[in-house]
Amino acid sequence: MTGLVIEALTVAFGRFTALDGVSLAVDPGEVRAVIGPNGAGKTTLLDVISGITKPVSGRVMLGDRIDLTTRSEAEIARAGVRRKFQKPSVFPALTVRENLEIGCGPAVPAGARAARIASVLGEIGLRPRADIIAGRLSHGEKQWLEIGMVLAAEPALLLLDEPVAGLSDAETAQTAALIRALRRPDRAILVIEHDMDFVEAVADRVTVLHEGRTLYEGSLHGARSDARVIEVFLGR
Amino acid sequence: MPVLRAVLVLVCLALVPAPAAAASLDRAGFAAGLCDDAAGQVRAAEGLIQSAGELPSDDLAFAANLLGALAERRLACPADGALLLDRPGAPEGRDALTGLARAAPDARVPVLGLRQRAAVETARGVSALLTGPDPAARSAGLAAAERRIATVPAAVLDRARDAESDAGLKERITGLAQAAALSSPDPVRRRAAIAAVAAHPSGAAQARLAALKGDPAYAADPAFRAALDAGLATVSRAVAVGDGLAVVYNGLSFASILFMAAAGLAIIFGLMGVINLAQGEFIMLGAYATYGVQEAFRRLAPGLLDLYLVAAIPVAFCAVALVGIVVEALILRHLYRRPLMSLLATWAVSLLLVNLVRVTVGTQNLQFVMPAYVSGGVPLYADFVVTWNRLFAIGFAAATLVLTLLILRRTPLGLDIRAVTQNRDMAACLGLPTRRVDRLAFGLGSGIAGLAGVALCPIYSVNPGMGSGFIVDSFMVVVLGGVGSLLGTLVAALGIGGANVLIEPVSGAVAAKVIVLVGIILFLQRRPEGLFAVRRRR
Amino acid sequence: MSGAVQTVLAPPAGPARRAVRDPLVAGLVGLCLAVAVGLLVARPAPYLVNALGQLATFAILAVSLDLVWGYLGILSLGHGLFFAIGGYVCAMHLLSHGVAVTGVQPDFVQFMGWKSLPAYWAGLDHPAYALVLALALAGLVAFLFGLASFRSRVNGVYFSIISQALVYVAMLLMYRNDTGLGGNNGMTGFPLLFGWPMGSPGVATGLAVAALVALAAVLAGTRLLVGSAVGRRMIACRDDETRLRTLGYSTTRLKLGIWCLSAMIAALAGILYVPQVGIINPRVLAPDLSIEIAVWVAIGGLGRLGGAVIGAVLVNGLKFWLSTAMPEAWPFILSGLVLVVVLVLPNGLLDLVALRPRPNWLRRSR
Repeated sequence: MTGLVIEALTVAFGRFTALDGVSLAVDPGEVRAVIGPNGAGKTTLLDVISGITKPVSGRVMLGDRIDLTTRSEAEIARAGVRRKFQKPSVFPALTVRENLEIGCGPAVPAGARAARIASVLGEIGLRPRADIIAGRLSHGEKQWLEIGMVLAAEPALLLLDEPVAGLSDAETAQTAALIRALRRPDRAILVIEHDMDFVEAVADRVTVLHEGRTLYEGSLHGARSDARVIEVFLGR
Repeated sequence: MPVLRAVLVLVCLALVPAPAAAASLDRAGFAAGLCDDAAGQVRAAEGLIQSAGELPSDDLAFAANLLGALAERRLACPADGALLLDRPGAPEGRDALTGLARAAPDARVPVLGLRQRAAVETARGVSALLTGPDPAARSAGLAAAERRIATVPAAVLDRARDAESDAGLKERITGLAQAAALSSPDPVRRRAAIAAVAAHPSGAAQARLAALKGDPAYAADPAFRAALDAGLATVSRAVAVGDGLAVVYNGLSFASILFMAAAGLAIIFGLMGVINLAQGEFIMLGAYATYGVQEAFRRLAPGLLDLYLVAAIPVAFCAVALVGIVVEALILRHLYRRPLMSLLATWAVSLLLVNLVRVTVGTQNLQFVMPAYVSGGVPLYADFVVTWNRLFAIGFAAATLVLTLLILRRTPLGLDIRAVTQNRDMAACLGLPTRRVDRLAFGLGSGIAGLAGVALCPIYSVNPGMGSGFIVDSFMVVVLGGVGSLLGTLVAALGIGGANVLIEPVSGAVAAKVIVLVGIILFLQRRPEGLFAVRRRR
Repeated sequence: MSGAVQTVLAPPAGPARRAVRDPLVAGLVGLCLAVAVGLLVARPAPYLVNALGQLATFAILAVSLDLVWGYLGILSLGHGLFFAIGGYVCAMHLLSHGVAVTGVQPDFVQFMGWKSLPAYWAGLDHPAYALVLALALAGLVAFLFGLASFRSRVNGVYFSIISQALVYVAMLLMYRNDTGLGGNNGMTGFPLLFGWPMGSPGVATGLAVAALVALAAVLAGTRLLVGSAVGRRMIACRDDETRLRTLGYSTTRLKLGIWCLSAMIAALAGILYVPQVGIINPRVLAPDLSIEIAVWVAIGGLGRLGGAVIGAVLVNGLKFWLSTAMPEAWPFILSGLVLVVVLVLPNGLLDLVALRPRPNWLRRSR
């Protein structure tokens, strides 16, 4: 079983400390939401897990053996980690199908790709638009396509950075349903989101980050009644 | 520095014994000597040479007159005394001692033999060196004395040196005096000479002393050997220090030019992500603007011509800034989201500018008047000479750095530029006119290139193609320094300039460029953002 | 946000399936082969044969740059280096071959006061070895430079100007007379090609045909490449390298492979170029010439292989004509052409033909 364990992670940009000794454990099968005000370090956390940013100190363990902080982005991805970026990051010059083909990753043999792509197209509901150039998709369709791209590799750890930012209410509900459907016993999912209703709909537990530190960890209900969390969110 | 030199002169004066109480020439005896046989003539001439260091000037002038007459066959020797003729073969002349006119119907006119001629010429040279009315005459005298320098006593050269007013000639006399003393048969004098040479260290002095190691006395005379070794060590150390200073100075001046060329580039690149391939041509335009100012001065105010370089500073800045603003407004404005295309566009601009200048002004190198403040230099230590033109460039670069920093740190435009450099979108959200800031910043960057053009005029040859010469170097400075950091640009310019100057004497200019490039590529392995860029979040 | 809702409810009209087939490239390949046959059959004037052959080599060079610039987003301003490597090795082969057959040492050997060619020239009279050496050397230099740059993620204009510095330094190096490669005069006076006298019309025709066939092969091969899964990864890498990396692909390896391939194609162009013009010297390493290659590609149409060919042929054809007809005007025309294309026709002259609607991605990031 693979889960994600983050130990005492510290990240600095110049003199600014973005993450200050953050520890976090996500179990397999769990959907964890990380919330917090702007600048709390949420996206930086995902940057470290996916290998884009290297920390000053601390470890990020995937399963028991792999320390992600020593790996390149590609190695981390091949270890089963996929990330959906905040800004929809699809390849605008390629078709939806070609985007998904690349999303399968280098490990999936060419013969197995077609079936995988077909099933993902169904999951994200873009089958009718499979041969359209991704640059012409709407914002919501791009968000789904990107979720499809990260799904195509059947990741063990899924990182979602604000998957419903800029979506309509209907699209948000659809996305929440999609993410609930992604839950699997051997898969850990980490979601960053501002939309509390969405978090409530998808997350098992929440972690509240504030100024680079963990402020609260537990149920969303508990977070809503925690005095410090209320101060941070409402006192500003 | 004049103080230092004055002290040195005083020290030298103290070391050299003052001329003994002035003897005077036995004029009659001298004249008789010249009228004597060959041996007598040589005796008289050599006597004069030996005592010339102490003789009063009028005696020397008297002797020079007679010697000249003898050499030109105008000295007649009647039985009593000597006569100076106006021209060879004249029937009468003036008495050498009294100056009275006197006929000399069949007086003997001695002819100089080869051996006597050498002594007489040397004596004439010594007299001319000591009494010649102008540097040319004294220089000719020195040249004559030099041919038989071994016979010339040190006192003559010392006296000539101390009395000499012409700097170049004085230096020649000093060198000659040292050389003569170094090969003197008198060991004491030789050692004194070694010390004197060592007191003025230079590459030439080093070579002169090193040559003495082959002298038989080096093996035979321990005192001589010790003196020579000590002198050589002093000189070598001083020369090494002087050469080191020269390397630093040259590196600094090269770095200044690099910085001037790169500073504008760095501002533009940091702000807009645009690599301006026409920056070299902007420098060229700055130099041509300087030329224009010079020509305007020549026509309108020839008396103030020397000031044209100063007047060119604002003109070149404004003119090139204007060109930059026009280029930005017409072309680059449309290309901000396509940096690689803007690269090609600025290349096209550079091609256009080079050929426009070629067609309108011509391809030849421009001729610049060099005012006193950018020509020559002052020798500072050993072989290290501070040349004014390079000092001009260094000072210019320093002033540009300070001014640019002031603009960036202390003015509203600078604040805008820094804001847009750091976060264009946020700056735009806060209502900053980013387009206008871009244009002004491009103008500023171009204007700095124009200033670099002014600074280059006294050093570089100015022609339409000059811009391509250092553009690659200045790009390397920007890459190494990091985006948008003027401090990084400065440090990178110093580093690359220094590295080039350091490596060049060892392995040549091409190898220096290769090593610097490889070094930069390797450096970027560790710090891809350059020296001074702050890590930023994606 | 409301815009997003609308687009979801009303999807954009018309499926815009990307054309897998590329009629332009197919047409150009056919044209090259047809012209090659035409040269063999009709035997036109020698200058025309030579011009066509040279244009074909420039087109190959342009395709090699378009492969990395148009499809990987890497603008090399140093491709002249790889072209020069091919050219220099070819010249070394031609001279060695001449020495082996005639026994006469080349001019620069006599000029330097040497007895014979330097030792590292050994074996270059064998054409197969020379060909392999040229390609391998270009590939190796590209590999080392690419490895250093891509590994440390030097990209964008940074890569461009460092590659420019590379070709500049190479130029300084080749201007030296002690390299054993001809110094500033370069190498010329090639007597023979495969045993045939260099100046004969048959050799000229053969060279032009070889260049045209090579162009057709390079076009077809690169077209197959960019249409493949690797090609799609190249486009993905160009548009969002971090995204591709976080999907598990080693973009360094991808970029390095294509970069080396591109360098070897450029070297091939150099190999074909030198026997046609009969000279190679360090001026091919001038930074301006490398920028000009990028200009051909930009003028023809970045990111389309056919565009690169059209750009190279058009610019060089114009140059052949104008630099004799009105040499003073050529730089002005070239710079004007660049500015017009860059400002008005972002996709090059192919915009005029409007073969396809302009894809969105060309508006971004480049």
